[in-house]
Amino acid sequence: MTEAPEEQEINDVDLVAQTQAGDPRAFDQLVRKYSPRLYGLVYHMTSNHEDTNDLLQDIFAKAYRSIRGFKGKSSFYTWLHTIATNMTINFLKKRSRTYNMSLDDVDNGIQHDPDFIEMTSGSDARREVDLKELQQRLNEAMMKLSKEHRAVVTMFDIQGMPHAEIGKILGISEGTVRSRLFYAHRQLQNYLQEFLAN
Amino acid sequence: MNPDVHRLLRLKRYEHPTPDYFESFFDEFQERQRAELLRQPTWKLLLERVFNAFPEFHVPRLAYAGVGVAAVVLSTFIMVSQEDETTAGASLALNDPRPTVNVLPAGQGDIRLPSSSRSEFPPHYVLEARPVSYESPYSF
Repeated sequence: MTEAPEEQEINDVDLVAQTQAGDPRAFDQLVRKYSPRLYGLVYHMTSNHEDTNDLLQDIFAKAYRSIRGFKGKSSFYTWLHTIATNMTINFLKKRSRTYNMSLDDVDNGIQHDPDFIEMTSGSDARREVDLKELQQRLNEAMMKLSKEHRAVVTMFDIQGMPHAEIGKILGISEGTVRSRLFYAHRQLQNYLQEFLAN
Repeated sequence: MNPDVHRLLRLKRYEHPTPDYFESFFDEFQERQRAELLRQPTWKLLLERVFNAFPEFHVPRLAYAGVGVAAVVLSTFIMVSQEDETTAGASLALNDPRPTVNVLPAGQGDIRLPSSSRSEFPPHYVLEARPVSYESPYSF
C-alpha cells in the first residue's frame, strides 16, 4: 500500500534530522526507500544499467555529504531528485556520442497492461509488435531527445510526477514543463509513428 | 500533450532491474561509504566528532569573518599606537632642553657641567633620531 504523503513527509523529516545528528543508519533507510524510484529516473535518462548503478552510488554519496546543508526549504524528496537530475544531466553531457544501451528486462506485468493489450490486439500492424523491439525503439526514441526534454518526459510520462513537482525539481516554471513536454511529444511522435494509433 | 505518446511511454515503467539488484546496491553503497570514511583525514573525523558531540554549537560562518576583521583592526591599532609612542619619545629626546648631568663621586676627575646651549653640545646619545635606549637589542 502506498504511504500517505504527510506520513512520508514526517518520516523523511525525522530520518533527515537523525542523519544530520550523525546517525548513518537513518540515511540507510532513506537510501532503501528512494533507490528504486531514483533508479528509474536515472535509468530512463541513460538507458544503461551499469551507468545507472554508478550514478546512483554517486548520487547517494553526494546527498549524504551534503545533508548537513539541507535546511528543509523543500521536501527531502524534491531535494534528492534535484541532485539526481543534475548529476545525470552532467553525466550525459560528458558521455561520448557512441555508447551502448544496456537495458533491463521488461516485467511480465506488461502483458496485462490495458494500453499494451490494446496496442497488440488491434487489427492493424501493431499486433505484430515484439516486446524486445518495442523496448529498443522506445529507448532509442528517448535518447534522441535533448537531456532536458528527456528529464521532463521521464518524470511526467514514465514516473507520473505532477507538473508542479517537476518544475520544483528542475527549477523551472510549470509553463516551461508543459512546453518541454509538448515539444518532446511532438518529436517522439515522429520516431514512434509505427507504434501509435492512426 | 499527446495521449498516445504518453500511453506508449508509460510502458517503460515495466523495465526493471533483477529482483536482488537493490539489495546488492545497498550493500555496495554501505561498503563504499565505509571506505570513504576511512579515507578521510584524522582532523576531519575529529572535527566531525566534536560537532556531533555538541549539536547545538553552531557558529555562524560570518562570525569567523567578524573575528578575523576584529583581529586585523586590533593588531593595526596596536602597531600604529606603538609607532606613535616611538616617534613621540624620539622628538621628546630631541626637543628636551635639559642637559644630562653626570654626577661623579667627589675626587674622581674633574666635574664638568655641560652648557644648556644645544649648539655647543649636540646630544651624542641620540642615534638617527632615535634615543639609544629605544634601539632594540640584536642579541636575544
